[in-house]
Amino acid sequence: MLAVFLVILILPLATGVISFTVPARAAALATVVSGVASFALVLSLVPEAAHGDLSFLSGYLRADALSVIFLLATGFLYAAVAVYAVGYTRHHDATYARRFYAGFNAFAWAMLAAPLMGSLALLWIAVEVTTIISALLVAIGDTDGAAEAAWKYVLIASAGLGLALLATVFAYYAGAQVLGQHYNLAIQPLIQAGSRLPQTPVRLAFLLAVLGYGTKVGLFPVHTWLPDAHSEAPTPVSALLSGSLLAVSFYAILRFYQVAAASLGSGFPRDTLLAFGIASLLLASLYVFGQRDVKRLLAYSSVEHMGICAIGVSFGAPVALAGVLLHVMAHAAAKGNAFMGAGVFTVKYGSKQMSAMRDGMRLLPWSGPLFLLAIFALSALPPSGIFRSEFQIVAGGLGSGSYTAAAVLVVLVTVVFFGLTASATGMLLYTPGGATHRDPPAHRGAPRVPPGVRGEPSAWMVVPVLAGLAVLLVLGLHPPGELTDLISRGATQLGSP
Amino acid sequence: MSAAVPIPVIQLLQVLTVALGAPGIMGVIAKVEARLQGRRGPKVLQPYYDLAKLCRKETLAPEQASWFFLAAPLIAVAAYLTIPLLIPVLTTYPLPLGYMGDILGGGFLLALASFVIATAALETGSPYAQLGSSRAKTFSAITEPVVLFVVFTVALLTGTDLPYALAATVRSSAGQVVRPAHVLASAALFMVILHETGRIPVETHTGTNEFGMIEEARSFEHSGPYFALLKWGSMLKQLILFTILADVFVVPWGLASSQRLGAVLLAIVALLAKAAAVGCVVAVIDNSFAKLRLFKITEYASAAFLLAVLGVFTLYLGGG
Amino acid sequence: MNTALLAAGGTTSLQPPGIYQGAANVIAALMLLLEFGMLRQALIRDQVRLYAAQSALISVLAIVIAADRGLPDLYALAGLSGALKVVVVPLVLRRLLGVPVDEDSPGVAGSYTLSPASAVLASIGLAAFGFFTFGAFHISGPAAPALALAIAGAMVFVAFGLMIVRRDVASQAVGFFSLENAISLAALVVAAGLPLILETAFLFDLLVAVVVFGMLIRTHHGRAESLSTADLTGLRG
Repeated sequence: MLAVFLVILILPLATGVISFTVPARAAALATVVSGVASFALVLSLVPEAAHGDLSFLSGYLRADALSVIFLLATGFLYAAVAVYAVGYTRHHDATYARRFYAGFNAFAWAMLAAPLMGSLALLWIAVEVTTIISALLVAIGDTDGAAEAAWKYVLIASAGLGLALLATVFAYYAGAQVLGQHYNLAIQPLIQAGSRLPQTPVRLAFLLAVLGYGTKVGLFPVHTWLPDAHSEAPTPVSALLSGSLLAVSFYAILRFYQVAAASLGSGFPRDTLLAFGIASLLLASLYVFGQRDVKRLLAYSSVEHMGICAIGVSFGAPVALAGVLLHVMAHAAAKGNAFMGAGVFTVKYGSKQMSAMRDGMRLLPWSGPLFLLAIFALSALPPSGIFRSEFQIVAGGLGSGSYTAAAVLVVLVTVVFFGLTASATGMLLYTPGGATHRDPPAHRGAPRVPPGVRGEPSAWMVVPVLAGLAVLLVLGLHPPGELTDLISRGATQLGSP
Repeated sequence: MSAAVPIPVIQLLQVLTVALGAPGIMGVIAKVEARLQGRRGPKVLQPYYDLAKLCRKETLAPEQASWFFLAAPLIAVAAYLTIPLLIPVLTTYPLPLGYMGDILGGGFLLALASFVIATAALETGSPYAQLGSSRAKTFSAITEPVVLFVVFTVALLTGTDLPYALAATVRSSAGQVVRPAHVLASAALFMVILHETGRIPVETHTGTNEFGMIEEARSFEHSGPYFALLKWGSMLKQLILFTILADVFVVPWGLASSQRLGAVLLAIVALLAKAAAVGCVVAVIDNSFAKLRLFKITEYASAAFLLAVLGVFTLYLGGG
Repeated sequence: MNTALLAAGGTTSLQPPGIYQGAANVIAALMLLLEFGMLRQALIRDQVRLYAAQSALISVLAIVIAADRGLPDLYALAGLSGALKVVVVPLVLRRLLGVPVDEDSPGVAGSYTLSPASAVLASIGLAAFGFFTFGAFHISGPAAPALALAIAGAMVFVAFGLMIVRRDVASQAVGFFSLENAISLAALVVAAGLPLILETAFLFDLLVAVVVFGMLIRTHHGRAESLSTADLTGLRG
């Protein structure tokens, strides 16, 4: 098992380093191999983690059910997007491709490493590394928008992580009071010492962690970098940012939540998460209307889903917590699909503006319907996994007495559904010259591809979406037994210390 | 040398020391500054000769000016001569008349003198004098909060705002002098003193640079003995401010703790030495920095304000 | 009469702290002052110098705490942190900003949204808020009383203020690094016993962050031909 850990930790990084030196095609192939292998290795951890915790190197490397769920989300996207990127980087030159693959693998490495870290300090470092690498990846496309988005992203996210570091310091202080001055910020002992920890530092640490790591999760009001970064990054990177990075940062918040719940009881942590969750959901539901850029639209959808996760945790009922964990995985698949589909559209129509995209169903015989299905999945239509998870969350909310919050959640999710489908319908079903002349043709740079050329840009960009769809269906209809065990174990860990 | 000096005599000596020593301190600063510039410089006693010369000159007054124009220098000097009664100049123990006013009272008297001079200058109708007055009043208003916060620091440290009490507290242990609150308040006060005495970086004390003048311009229209009084007044203000800085904040040692003649004489010498030392620091600053442009004086004042506010903050949580 | 009144009025003050606590407080206060100095400095070169001075103070504080509490790890940390943040980071920053080596040229000046005086006054408000908020927690480490943590809190807020008030990428980057300094101060006060390996990892992480910031500044500079962020308004809604 230690070998599995080490391979997961080393393989993506090695691939990233190699990608600098080998030709682009080899780098692409290596990335695909690395992605699929990592995902397979993570899958192999599932049976073990469903029944017990794995810990090596005196607790510095640790995987329990909670970690493995987030690893699954990252691992799947790593594999799927690696395949997708083969088709995507065909349209760019070799230097770009090399830099892209190096960054991509390093990014995936950092995101895979974070849930395996058994110490809050190493967790912070891993998340900081993801920030730094992803900032470079956002800037890799050489446009004004990318440079602006990258600067905003790195500044805001790093400032937020500064707050998270402060939270880690206070967590150390609280832990050191009970566990001794040379306490190394290991998570498990801290949770177990929960009720003996001094309350004020823990409260402060939790609040700072929600604000600080919440910057990277995209919670209101520190989400402002998110639409810019996710829309200006190259599509594979956007998929990973939305599907995995937000989740990994949320994982960090969940660790602090465990400590806070163990020490303060569940009142204060849940109220905090509820407040931030509802605010994020409200903001997202308002902003999905009136979006012109398809990736920006999807970015706000990510804000919405992270808000839903936060609200789900705040409900506290076991079924709600199970819903949250399922949601993390299903959202990764669905958001990955959506971004990958949006990427195909961008390549096909030469622009990110939705006003330039028309008649998608006819022109993109595979990606069009798949994109529509992804949008439906994001809006929680059955039988996608997201429907199941949101259903569980709402059921948990109603069961634990948070009627208002559950009702607000349902209403706002419906609002977002309207926003998303309205835009998607425009892209897929309207024909040019239809009822859409209101939209101005202005967009950045690229000339409009004349309509009528039917065909997919690349098969590499379709297959991963099919895989994602399959995952969504499996998660929605009949999650495998091991996975359900894993989720329920994770929910138990979250619910009671 | 163990004769006891009666208290009233000590009181008188306080005023006399300040009154007679002020021009000397001014001379010392001028001399040091000249030496730093590589010149021989004027004699240390030159300000005395200047004052004497001015007293022999004739007095002229503008036609529009009223009695106030002539009374102003007298009022100002009277106010300046009252302040040494309130602050620890020679002794560690408060003298009877020292309870007439606290540190705020001293500040009030300084402000009164400044106001009177400024009004007299406004009376004359001369453009330069009015320019100096308006500038002086504006910038004084900006530095007032700084002075207030310094007073608050004093008050928080000692529970009163008697300068004698603060001096005693600072003397009580070495740790007091390096307390952040104390250091910050002293630094803020020093910056205010540079401003009040018209030194770099606020104003050039030597030469007449009309467009930059603040303090110097206010005495433009006075002449003869009244001008001598004004100059003497500004020297008095300088020595008083130096005394407050040295005897209350920075080096409150060397003061007489008894009424013995020897101690008192030693205290006089110590005071003049300390004031001369502060003067040397001012001279070095004069030679090292350039004058700030007028609109940057607000930045200077905000920096002083920052120091004073931080001084108050650091006292709040203890350990400051 | 005189001494009685003196006795009544004097020494109701708080006792001054011991040597180490006093030194820690003084260093923290100086760091805060340097933070304000960075706020007021127009030239970016001078800002970087102030940052180097601030980092040097952190190393000195680490040595003070190490001497006070007998943690030999902290000496190593002080040395490493000094080498990295006082020498390497300013060097990297100046290289990336393309500041000419010739000391006579004034270098690049940053741009403000508020004038320096107003910025200082606004930051005094921020500092007060941070100061009293953190002070109200009454969290104190064995090495420094609650005052140092409160000053660290004030510094964090002022560093955020610096990032807000300045409108050019270089000043914002320096603001972020001074934010890291403020958090290191808080960590020294509260978490002095953190294992050395973790602190070292933090430091190297900071170095990587510096490099990335520098690369992005270069990119921005290359695109916009200036360091100002006033035109970064393309992405909205």
